[in-house]
Amino acid sequence: MGTINSAFQIMSGALEADQSALNVVANNVANANTTGYTREIPAWQENTPVEINGSSYGSGATETGSTSVRDRVLDQRLQQQQQSASSSSTRLAALNSMQALFPPDSGSSSSAAGDIGSDLTSFFDSFSSLANSGEPTNDALRQDVLSAASTLAGDISNAAAGLSSLQSSLDEEASGLVSQVNGLTGSIAQLNMEIQSSSPNGDAGTLEDQRQQDLSQLSQLIGVNQITTENNGLSVTTASGQLLVSEGSSFDLTTGLAGGLTRFFVGTTDVTQALAEGGGELGGYLTARDQDVPNAMSSLDQLAYDVSTQVNSLNNTGTDLAGDNGGAGDIFYQPAAVAGAAASMSVVMNDPDHIAAAGANAATGDNSNAVSMANLAGQGVVNGKTPSNYFAQFVSQLGSTVSEVQAESTAQAASVTQLQTQRDALSAVNLNDEASAMQQLESSYQAASQVFNILNTVMTSALNLGVETAVS
Amino acid sequence: MNLRLKELIDEATRALSRLDAERLAELALSCEALNRGGEQPIECSLKPGEASQAASAMGVFSRVLGVTRANFEFIARLNRTEGERLEYRPGSERRWNPRWNGHGNN
Repeated sequence: MGTINSAFQIMSGALEADQSALNVVANNVANANTTGYTREIPAWQENTPVEINGSSYGSGATETGSTSVRDRVLDQRLQQQQQSASSSSTRLAALNSMQALFPPDSGSSSSAAGDIGSDLTSFFDSFSSLANSGEPTNDALRQDVLSAASTLAGDISNAAAGLSSLQSSLDEEASGLVSQVNGLTGSIAQLNMEIQSSSPNGDAGTLEDQRQQDLSQLSQLIGVNQITTENNGLSVTTASGQLLVSEGSSFDLTTGLAGGLTRFFVGTTDVTQALAEGGGELGGYLTARDQDVPNAMSSLDQLAYDVSTQVNSLNNTGTDLAGDNGGAGDIFYQPAAVAGAAASMSVVMNDPDHIAAAGANAATGDNSNAVSMANLAGQGVVNGKTPSNYFAQFVSQLGSTVSEVQAESTAQAASVTQLQTQRDALSAVNLNDEASAMQQLESSYQAASQVFNILNTVMTSALNLGVETAVS
Repeated sequence: MNLRLKELIDEATRALSRLDAERLAELALSCEALNRGGEQPIECSLKPGEASQAASAMGVFSRVLGVTRANFEFIARLNRTEGERLEYRPGSERRWNPRWNGHGNN
């Protein structure tokens, strides 16, 4: 009887184990389209062997539950890449908006709206026309100078206003993320408590899925580090180490205004700079707000300050039509400092008679001072560069930054897609197995390397040919 | 195929981003033909300015290739170091066989 009973028990146990395993499979299939769901596999435990007539027989296996197939290292790498990808795509969008404020030089002698490069050319050309006309007292030509000055000042101050407006909107976007960040860290803390109470020593299945989902969303918003703690707990810090989640507690990001811009705090620590460097959308917004926009504004300020100062200075050394010798007045508003010069740039001269075309102590028909002002176009008066070259270099540098961030954004997005594929193969409900996913990665890399090497050779030949052609 | 050089590079970048090994293999064959100047040449006579555009596209392709290499090395390292969960199946290079068998649920 004992023998038959034992055999039945083995069979019965096997059937129950199979049924449990089938339940796990059914759960996987049912959640095939659930975002963030991690595939579960049945966990088996061998039963204690039974002794029958002195011999030991296996007694089958019991399904002891299920274990989620996840790889925390891969998850963490994916989250890090998401932080970088979010940061660069957010920064790229801001840079594109900024670039739109500076349309490329049309090359035309007449300025298009916003075309500061052409404005500079037109402005200095207007002094040339006045100087070379043979009649430096001509009212229409003098009016042309003020008109060109007004266009230049208007386009520079408009660009400055556009930069300020962009900075404000970036600030608003950045501060708007705080409530989302705090919601997610609060949720992770809550899940920590549930996981630690329900599964302190094993995989927490869907609770862990939810926690990973929250971490993934958090990684798209800010740069974070995660630290696994005892009993399946998880601590989350900013990239610079400020604690956001510890066990069941979360620590909110808070904000405050300084200089018209939002600063970010954890407790009393200002983490704004660390968040900018950390990544995520917030990192992208803050990098654009605190680095890209101020850099552009600084360049524009320098241009406005030096052009205004040099032109005003020369105008005040010459003689105008009213007979003012050495005190004809300013053409542009004279800024007190470089900072803010672009925003305040405007033409303050209303009467074209006050343009001092004649040199100091010269008769009003003299053109020497108009020649000097026209010659500013070719002199290194803005940080050692001509005004046009300085502006062209600024636009070119901005273009390079956009290209660089574009390339980075493309690469980071590709990396996220690739890692997502690997993660899906491992832990999502997917017919592909891990090995084939890795093989796909390897095959793609090898084929792409082949393409790259050949194209690199072709490109090198093409560029060398170009150089030789240019030399000959 | 009738792709200009920049388009070809952009296409390779997109294919690599989505790990489309088949498309990349096709592009590799096309590139070989291009390099040989053989019977299936890609139309790639460079127009003025095209070389610099292509060079810029190559910069992006190079970045994506770089992150792909990093990801590949990471995944390979991950598989090597996860000896507890994975075991090597002899006779099948680069094939890593999970110790668990999935019981048909994968």
